[in-house]
Amino acid sequence: MSQRVNLNLKNELFLYGAKDWNQCFQCGNCTATCHTTENGFFFPRKTVRQVLMGLTKSLQTNIDPWLCTYCGDCSKTCPRDANPAELMMSIRRYLISVYDWTGISKLLYKSKALEIAAILVLAVIVMILYLLYTTFPSGDTAQWVGPDGGVLINKMAPWKTIHLGDLLMAGGLVFLIVTNVFYMWYKIIYEDKTLKVGFADYLRPFSLLSKIFHPEKKYAKCDEKKLFTYWALHLFLALSYALMFVIIVFFLEWFQTDKVLPIYHPQRLLGYISTIGLLVGIIYFYTNRTIKNMENSKYSHFTDWTFLILLFLTTLTGILLHFFRIYGMPQLTYITYLIHLMVLVPMLMVEVPFSKWSHMIYRPFSLYFAHLKKMALVKQKLILEHST
Amino acid sequence: MEKKLTVIYSCDPINGSTDHTNSPEVIAYAANLPGVSAIWFSSDISLTDAEQVAREIKKNNLKRIVIAGNNAGMHKSFFCRAMVLAGNNPEDVILASFLEYGASHKNEVERAKAIVACAVYGIPFEMAAIPEELPVNPNTLVIGGGIAGIQASLEIASSKNIVYLVEKSPTIGGHMAMFDKTFPTLDCAACILTPKMVEVGQHNYIKLMTYSKVQEVTGVPGNYKVKILKQARKINLETCIGCGTCAEKCPVKVPSEFDANTTLRRAAYIPFPQAVPNKYLIDDSICTYTLKGKCGACVKVCPVPGCINLEEKDEVVEINVGNIIVATGFKTFNATKFAQFGYGKFPNVLTSIELERLINAAGPTGGKIAKRVQDKKGNWIFSTESIYTPKSIAIIHCIGSRDVNHNKYCSKVCCMYSLKLAHLLKEKLPDSEINEYYIDIRAYGKGYEEFYNRIKKEGINVIRGRPAKVEQYGDELIVRCEDIEGGRIIEQKVDMVILAVGTEPRTDSEKIAEMLGITVDSYGWFKEFNYISDPVNTFSGGISIAGACQGPKDIPDTVAQASAAASRVLQSIAKNKIRNGIRNLSLEQIETKAKELSKILQE
Repeated sequence: MSQRVNLNLKNELFLYGAKDWNQCFQCGNCTATCHTTENGFFFPRKTVRQVLMGLTKSLQTNIDPWLCTYCGDCSKTCPRDANPAELMMSIRRYLISVYDWTGISKLLYKSKALEIAAILVLAVIVMILYLLYTTFPSGDTAQWVGPDGGVLINKMAPWKTIHLGDLLMAGGLVFLIVTNVFYMWYKIIYEDKTLKVGFADYLRPFSLLSKIFHPEKKYAKCDEKKLFTYWALHLFLALSYALMFVIIVFFLEWFQTDKVLPIYHPQRLLGYISTIGLLVGIIYFYTNRTIKNMENSKYSHFTDWTFLILLFLTTLTGILLHFFRIYGMPQLTYITYLIHLMVLVPMLMVEVPFSKWSHMIYRPFSLYFAHLKKMALVKQKLILEHST
Repeated sequence: MEKKLTVIYSCDPINGSTDHTNSPEVIAYAANLPGVSAIWFSSDISLTDAEQVAREIKKNNLKRIVIAGNNAGMHKSFFCRAMVLAGNNPEDVILASFLEYGASHKNEVERAKAIVACAVYGIPFEMAAIPEELPVNPNTLVIGGGIAGIQASLEIASSKNIVYLVEKSPTIGGHMAMFDKTFPTLDCAACILTPKMVEVGQHNYIKLMTYSKVQEVTGVPGNYKVKILKQARKINLETCIGCGTCAEKCPVKVPSEFDANTTLRRAAYIPFPQAVPNKYLIDDSICTYTLKGKCGACVKVCPVPGCINLEEKDEVVEINVGNIIVATGFKTFNATKFAQFGYGKFPNVLTSIELERLINAAGPTGGKIAKRVQDKKGNWIFSTESIYTPKSIAIIHCIGSRDVNHNKYCSKVCCMYSLKLAHLLKEKLPDSEINEYYIDIRAYGKGYEEFYNRIKKEGINVIRGRPAKVEQYGDELIVRCEDIEGGRIIEQKVDMVILAVGTEPRTDSEKIAEMLGITVDSYGWFKEFNYISDPVNTFSGGISIAGACQGPKDIPDTVAQASAAASRVLQSIAKNKIRNGIRNLSLEQIETKAKELSKILQE
């Protein structure tokens, strides 16, 4: 595969959080240490090589960074302190911006100011729409409070209005995600002409499911014992997030009620569980990134912080909203709901298709594509099965 | 002449060197020097805004800036720019660099003061600090009896000057005596070294003091008083006939240092059969008689009456010498620091120095390859009973070298000795597979690249890629590595792993440096006067360094440097004059000289 050398690639990647990888002297220690490396997938050294040589095309079709579990073994034993693990994460950010065909992601990753501006603009749009389509609880407080002491939230901000907005936003997000994943497939599988993946091959890798849901099997090989906690809390956070997302976007009628339901009702119970998941996760990842006790939290790009902060603010306003509602404080409920949406919408619109959140989609798909690639390599006898 | 107003900018020290710049003494001294109007600390100004500094310079009407600190040169360009912006001459930015003039030792506040003073007077330090010349005592002390010490002693003694050769261990020879062959010529190391050792032992002008330590050095260059602790050998050097009966009867066994702890020796022992002096001695730290007060088995069997005296005490000898050559050598890297390679855990993971002994015809198994086995008392040793033919052997390069987690530097000799070991193994085991795992091959010397090419033709697999780990399954060891040139991951089954350990400064090198008043670098290697133009002298007069105590070095370089050190010594003896070390100049001397010179300049 002939390609043009991009001498500026190294400098461009510094904007995605990369450290000084000119340190690397290509000893291969990282590849040999890595427990996910197998024949056909040599990272991280091969990726470092692509970066150092400026092979943009190879880098863009490279699937390896998505397979990294960031256990940090390679960085810890690197004889040059070149931080291969952090480099993989920087390449991930770069790849997110590559898969995003709109080009917005590239802008947001490269400029802190633009990212903040995008969030602010979206927040203002949400505020205008909210003020236009909802009513402020003015006058006598009593008429906004129901018989059980809870705020009549649907009277000020009807669930139908909010739900319509939710569905519109979700539709946009799904469109972006689907097209981005398609572009990812195009880059990784289609552009690599050496791979011959037949139609039937796409249906086969069901064994892969076990791989997605048992990453602890892989972590068990690592030296870093703390990683199990990390993995468990990450899963808890992700599931809580997904649960909350599904409830709010698709079942808002059931979730946003005027009646204050008893505490053991599934509506409140599920809400509490996912809130705890979100809070525990946020606190854990925030402390990790602050005290930098683990290899995978030593280096933070500003987008890592943005995601954490927006998620925290969303959760916090969500909790406040809930208590203002059940204790009958209509004005505060109205304002908190506004702030909640002003944080939530930018978080979803910016993070899901264009930034850190998208790894939730790309990572499972990358495992799928890697499996396809491996099957193709085995079929073409380029590598032997279980050859490592 | 207009009065020049000077500012002193005191910058932060770099890592690994002692902090003088913030020492209040130096600052207080600098403030009292004539013409100094202000002192800035690195925290006072930001080094990013030259224009702001230029405004400060203009406001205070400063004519000159002295940058004082360990790494003063780093800030010169910034202050030059500021001076130009302020309309002054950028040449009036003067450096007072502590490291450059050897003020990196702990008690070097006086030196730091002198360096600042010279900079303030505008006189180069070298011009003000010219030490006086002193008469020389023709006797010389050589510390360390390895190949460097032996070579230097022989050079000096052959011109009929007395040399005291002090060696810590019971025999001279050092590391070279442990080696089998030398690269790249594959000459037998012992055949080169032992004649020299014997010559040292028999030379009329060499006073050999083995099993001794230098305790204290006082005096001035040309006339040092040295106290040497002669440890009790407990066997008379004059009367011992070297029959070895005492060692046969001695009941205590410990690992032998000479065999890199792969065999056992007794408390009454001789380090190796060709030792110089070729006499036995008793190791006080494990002798049953010393520890429990009774035994004396060796005394009973000794055929020479009165030869063994278990009550002998250590003795302190005082000598006067004019010059000192330091040739204390190196130690090998401790491979247990690399947990991933399992040294110390898996018996068949060896260090290169252990293999040197194993493969040596005079070694534990007579040069046959053996497994490491446990004896009855649990010591891991090479024994003639465990001789076998390993099917495949891995040699891993760069253990403890070129690694930011251990030693950043290249140990210089490992590539070549690994290639040599691979050749020797192939010679002994022609049917075995031998794999070398390297990062880069550094075959840098005369005939070395040719040697490397020869090794590749001999059927040794030279694989580029640094292994990440060695694991043991049953009797097999598995080396996991990326074969970078072959483009694959390999997990190689091997029977034996050799770790090519790097070289490190001796643990006591800092203590020795302090005793002699010389300096060490951040790793602990002795610091020379100037690496390029004067790699032999130090900042102290009459003290030279030779061999691997200065930095990693192979045998040819060591021998060359030892001869160079000897020539420095002979030069001073021939002239009967030696220049005092810059270190020995007092602050007043340098200050007076600098003042004189600045007066001359002004006139």
